[in-house]
Formats: sequence, C-alpha cells, structure tokens
Amino acid sequence: MLSRSAERLYWLARYMERTENIARLVSVHMNLLMDLPKGVEMDWRQLILINTSEQEFYEKNNIANERNITRFLLVDTTYQGSLISSLSAARENIRTSRELLPDEAWEQVNELYLFAKNNLETITNRRQRVLFLNEILKGCQRFTGLLSGYMSHNDPYRFIRLGKNIERADMTSRILDFASLLLSESRSDEARQYETILWMNILKALNALLMYRQQMHNRINGDDVLNFLLQDANLPRSVSCCLAEIHASVSQLPNNNGLPLKITELATYVKAMDTRQTTQNQLRSILDGLQNKLGELHTQIADNWFLIAAGE
Amino acid sequence: MKSIWKNYKTETAYDELMHSECQSRPVSHRLCQYLDSLKKEDIDKRKIAAELAIMEMGISFTVYSDEGNIDRAWPFDIIPRIMDAKEWRVIEKGLKQRLTALNCFISDVYSEQAFIKDGKMPGDIINSSKNFRKECIGMKPRHNVWANICGTDLVRDKDGIMYVLEDNLRVPSGVSYMLENRVITKRVFPELLQNIDILPIDDYPTHLHDMLLSIAPHQDGPVTCVVLTPGIYNSAYFEHAYLAQQMGVQLVEGNDLVVNDDDCVYMRTIEGLEKVDVIYRRIDDDFLDPEVFRKDSTLGVPGLMRAWKAGNVALANAPGAGVADDKVVYAYVPEMIRYYLNEEPILPNVPTYLCSNKEDLDYVLEHLAELVVKPANESGGYGMLVGPHATAKEVEKFRKIIQEDPRNYIAQPTLAISTAPTLCKGKLEPRHIDLRPFILQGENTFVTAGGLTRVALKKGSLVVNSSQGGGSKDTWIINMEAN
Repeated sequence: MLSRSAERLYWLARYMERTENIARLVSVHMNLLMDLPKGVEMDWRQLILINTSEQEFYEKNNIANERNITRFLLVDTTYQGSLISSLSAARENIRTSRELLPDEAWEQVNELYLFAKNNLETITNRRQRVLFLNEILKGCQRFTGLLSGYMSHNDPYRFIRLGKNIERADMTSRILDFASLLLSESRSDEARQYETILWMNILKALNALLMYRQQMHNRINGDDVLNFLLQDANLPRSVSCCLAEIHASVSQLPNNNGLPLKITELATYVKAMDTRQTTQNQLRSILDGLQNKLGELHTQIADNWFLIAAGE
Repeated sequence: MKSIWKNYKTETAYDELMHSECQSRPVSHRLCQYLDSLKKEDIDKRKIAAELAIMEMGISFTVYSDEGNIDRAWPFDIIPRIMDAKEWRVIEKGLKQRLTALNCFISDVYSEQAFIKDGKMPGDIINSSKNFRKECIGMKPRHNVWANICGTDLVRDKDGIMYVLEDNLRVPSGVSYMLENRVITKRVFPELLQNIDILPIDDYPTHLHDMLLSIAPHQDGPVTCVVLTPGIYNSAYFEHAYLAQQMGVQLVEGNDLVVNDDDCVYMRTIEGLEKVDVIYRRIDDDFLDPEVFRKDSTLGVPGLMRAWKAGNVALANAPGAGVADDKVVYAYVPEMIRYYLNEEPILPNVPTYLCSNKEDLDYVLEHLAELVVKPANESGGYGMLVGPHATAKEVEKFRKIIQEDPRNYIAQPTLAISTAPTLCKGKLEPRHIDLRPFILQGENTFVTAGGLTRVALKKGSLVVNSSQGGGSKDTWIINMEAN
C-alpha cells in the first residue's frame, strides 16, 4: 500500500468522523437549549469554545447568536473546522483514493457532500437544520457501515480505523473539556439544579447515554460520567476504547516501529487519570495533557508511514 | 398522437438511427418504437435520472479556467447510438489490422527504417516529428508492441462508409466514460437492455489488466502493475482513478515512484520500497523522465527511461510510440498495411493532403474554405480550422500559419459526418457524432465492442471534444441475428 494512500485514507476517516461529530454536537446542543429554562448560563458560545475557534469566529461575526454560530460551525466554507469544510476535505481525500475502496464508498461521500452543498442555506431555519443534521448523521453512519461490511479488513481499512479513532479520542477529550466548564466553582445555584440534564447531554453528544445507564446503574453524576467517557473499556467513544482500537490497528500494520508500545503507555496513562474531586482547573490541565499526547501520537504515525509528514 | 420522429431531419448527413423522417433503420427499430411509446414527460424524467446518477457517481472531467480547476459533470445524452454487429465485426477486424501495422511501423522506425529505405515514406517526416524519440532507437518492447493502448477515431460520411479519422497512440482517454455510459443506460432504460441483445463492454478493465500483465519484463511470479497519473489536476484524473480501481491496482503519482541504483522502479509504500514491473502511464513522453526529456517536469520519475531501457520495467504505451500519432504519418497507414502485412486495408483513411508536399500545399491553399485543416501533433480538437464554418479572417490567419510551417499541417475534405438523434431541450434532433473504439495489443489483441460515441451538442457543430462543448452517448452493438 502506498504511503500516499495511507495518508489519504487516514485523513478521509478523520474528516468523516469530524463531520459526524460536529453534526451530533450541534444537534445535541440544540436539544439541550430547548430543555433548559431561559437564564441558565448556557448558550451557543460554548460550541465555539470546544473547537478553540473563538478568535476566528469573532473576526467574522460581531454577535455570538444561534444563527451566526450555527452558520459558522456548519456551513462556513472559509472556516477549516466547519462541517462543510470537513466533508469537502473528506471528499477530496476519497476522490484521490478511489482505487482502494468499494465504489459505493465514493458515491456515499460524494452524495453526502452534494446534499450538504445544496442545502447550506436551509440551516438558518431551526426545523430545516434538524433535518439537515439528521441526514448528515445518517450519511456518516452509512459510510461507516458500508466500509465495515464491504471492505476487507486490510491495511487500507486499518488506516481508516486508525484515523477515525484518533479523531474520536480527540473529540471526546474536547467534549470533556467543555464539560469542565460546567464544573466551574462560580456556577450559579440554578445551573447546579440542572446539572443532571447537562451531564445527560454530554453523554448524548457521544451517543453514550443508554450505555451509561446500563453500565452504571446509579443516578447520573459528573464524576461517573467523566470516568465512563475516559476509561470505560467497552464504550466505542471512550478515550480508552479508542486507544484500544488504535493499538489493534497499529499492531497489525507493517513497520510499526515500537508504536504499539507507545500506545500502551498512553492507555496506561489514561487509565491512571484521577478525575474525582478535581477542581475545574485541574481537570482542564489533565485534558490538555491528553490532547497534547494525542497530537504527538498523530505526529508519530505520520512520520512513520506517510509520504510527507502532514500537519493538520 | 404525433410521433416524436415527425420533423426529424435526416437530409444533411447519414443518420445512424433514422433512415428518413419517421422511418427507423432495422437496427434501431425497437429503440425508436420504444421511445415513441413514451410520453414526453417520461423521457424528461429519464434524462433527469441520468443527470442525477452522473452527479452521484461523480463522473466528471476537469475544465481549466482562470478561477481554478472546475469539475464538470460529464455531459451525457441518454439516446444510445446503435450499430449492427455484422458491420461491427468488419470494423473490429480493420482496427486490429491497423494497430498491428502501426506497431510494425513503430518497431521499424526505431530499428532498420526499412519503410523509409524502400521509399514508402520520406525520411524527413520522421526526423522532423516532435514525437520521434531518438532515445528509443534499438529498443525491443515485449511482443514488439509499442502502442499497447490505442483509441482510434472513426466517422461515417454521407456515403455511409466508416473512415478512420485519426489514431491516438499516446495516452488516449475516454474509455472510462464508455463504461460509465453503459452503467447509466442500465439505470435509465433497464427494460430495453433486458430485451435487446447488446454486446457487453464491461470486460474492458480485465482485458486491460491481462494485456499489462502480458508485457511484464518477467513472466514468472507475481507482477505488480500501477497506473501513473499526472495527478488530480489532470482533466482525465477521473479515468485514471477509475481504471486503477477497476483493475485493483495502485494509482500512483510521480513522487510515489523512485528508480534506484539497480535501475529498477520502486513505489514508496507503508512497508518500504516495493518493486514495480508494469506502468500504465498516463503522462506524455515529454514529462515522463526529467533526466531524459523535459528537465522541469515534476510529474515524472527521474530515471524511468534508464529502468525501461535496462528492461526492468514495462511502460504502456512505450516511450516513442507517439511517432505514429502524427497526422502526417497517418496518411501512410494504408501503405503500411500493404507493406508490413501484405493485406489491403479494411478501413479507409479520410483523403489527406500533406502540406509538406508542394502539390498538396497548393491545392490546400486554394481550397482552404472547403477543407478541415489540422496541426499534425495536437489533440483535443485544438488549433484546427473547419473551413466551411470559419470566417474569412480565420481562413487568412491559417493561410499564414500553414505557409510558415507546412510540415505541421494536413488538410482533409470536410466530411458530412453522420448524425444520431439527441435529446435537445426535450426534442429529438440530429447531432453529429464520431466513435472512438479502444484497441489493446500485448500478447493478444482486443477491441472494445463499440467504443465511446462522442456527440457535438451544438447544432451543426462538428467538434465533439468534451473540452469544447461535446457530450457522449452509450454505444450499442446489437446482434441482429439473435433478435
């Protein structure tokens, strides 16, 4: 398998995963805001904080309202982190790796991209936005299912799995970062009152609510959610589980040059994280550390296998 | 109800489907009847379905423009072009004969040059050809075949005879569109394809792969083939990716490949360097190897010619094969067939005036307004003059250009090339078409059943190139005896 192809498939998977994550995040956030009474210190701004894109947002917009933020996150083609930019980058990557994938994979991504491109304007309207996001989510799931069902689980597939799980782990850590804002000591009593709803939505953003309930059996609380999302061995979007997937893919790839060992170390590091009774600042620095380590892992993968080590 | 074939004009040229207004040819009878049975809205719906399929399948070609490269959806006409298998079998034989002779000629050009020594062709033509590569002298590609993949353009004149318009021996493109056109037609007219005995075409990638394997430098053990593309900005990138995918081989760009000190070609993979045996290259000679040809080429692979000459890698088509892809050389193909094969040509050439001949030149300059003038070495329909459609100013401009460089121009009478019914704004109208079958030659020779029919979508236009407003049609070769 060509180094160039490995790189493109890895990025294809990352961008598809990112597209799905953005769609789910915006969708869950919409639901959350509908649930919460007015006056609770929750609004759309939190979404741009997660993606650390506050500065770019304010260069383009004056007011951080629903309309501007959803446009920015979903359909701004000039913002690299937007849904449409991710989808378009996924399409470019698959367009140049068609020979490695089943026909339907390209058609699926292409169709999804055309759908998004033709419906960019509809998302201003809340109801239309719900439909738009549902369609994107379905499309991403079809893509994942199609590859898992149609494609040999060979090296190309392993790079896809690798890219997807690095992106997932990164997103989970960002969403937890977002959660850490909720733990702010200065939060109002009213906010404390709705904490359960907030944590439920964090779980929903990672498709983890049902699994949490089945696993934890007790009422939802912040410490448990944090542990579950970082360390659960079976939840597909927990950081530990992503690392296990990454480890499995890397171990089966040729020339992995000691990478499996480094991933095991990272997994041990995550398992040892103690997020109970942490302050907001402590939690943020733990999560920052995790994100840096994931970034380093990406660099090692790129140096090891790709033609030209790619930066994001 | 009024027939959709009412007012269909067939007077100006031979029409492939219609004998005259409302009267179809035997071969197209079922299709024409079927189309007549559909409501206008039905036909429109199918056209829309086809356009949608093209968008979703992402069948595109790239148009270069100042605002960057744009991917355009492939313009496709849903009405197929039809030929009788009986006629086709003759054409198929003619195409094999032609490519065999051309390959004998190329081998000869790079060895004894007997054709020239025997006075069949002036040596100047070769020496002044920009596609003659002296680096290739003495090379002996496997099976003595230089042009492994050829796209030959055919047109039918008013007299109903099929003529060869040109042979594309460098990097002919279009075969993926031929294949995709059939896929779309299956989606749009499934009921028709079920009931008519149409020769299949989708075995092309298999034959291409077999041919590539047959030219590998070694015939024992596994052979690694790749498709070499100039990259995503090339107008035929879609096709390169498509063919690689269909054959299940790697699509590579120049910097994926490296030639080592052992003069072997390797590709850079996740497992390190892997040896490559056969390269289906879709890059022109000029850009193939900066060590030998254009120094500024970033698309090619330094050392590739070294590896090829050492016999460590096969290139399809072989470097230098383009020497026969010259419209002056074209004029000599009938003579080549007689000379090398001792046969009479099955397919006629269009009469061609070589401006390098004094007599021909005089005739051409006198009759410019009636002729089609073409540069000897261009493709894509660029730089040509269609006399009857040109303004007086354009004609005068060409007179000057030809006189300055007669070697590089040929002229041919303007043919009334055949038409086929084409859906134009909901109505069926005749539009001019040509046909590009693809011929593969390695150990064996294979011809596609039919080929890519290109259609000039503009009324009256004779230019079918996609870069200049052309579209395409599915091509059906029908076995009439079985029906």
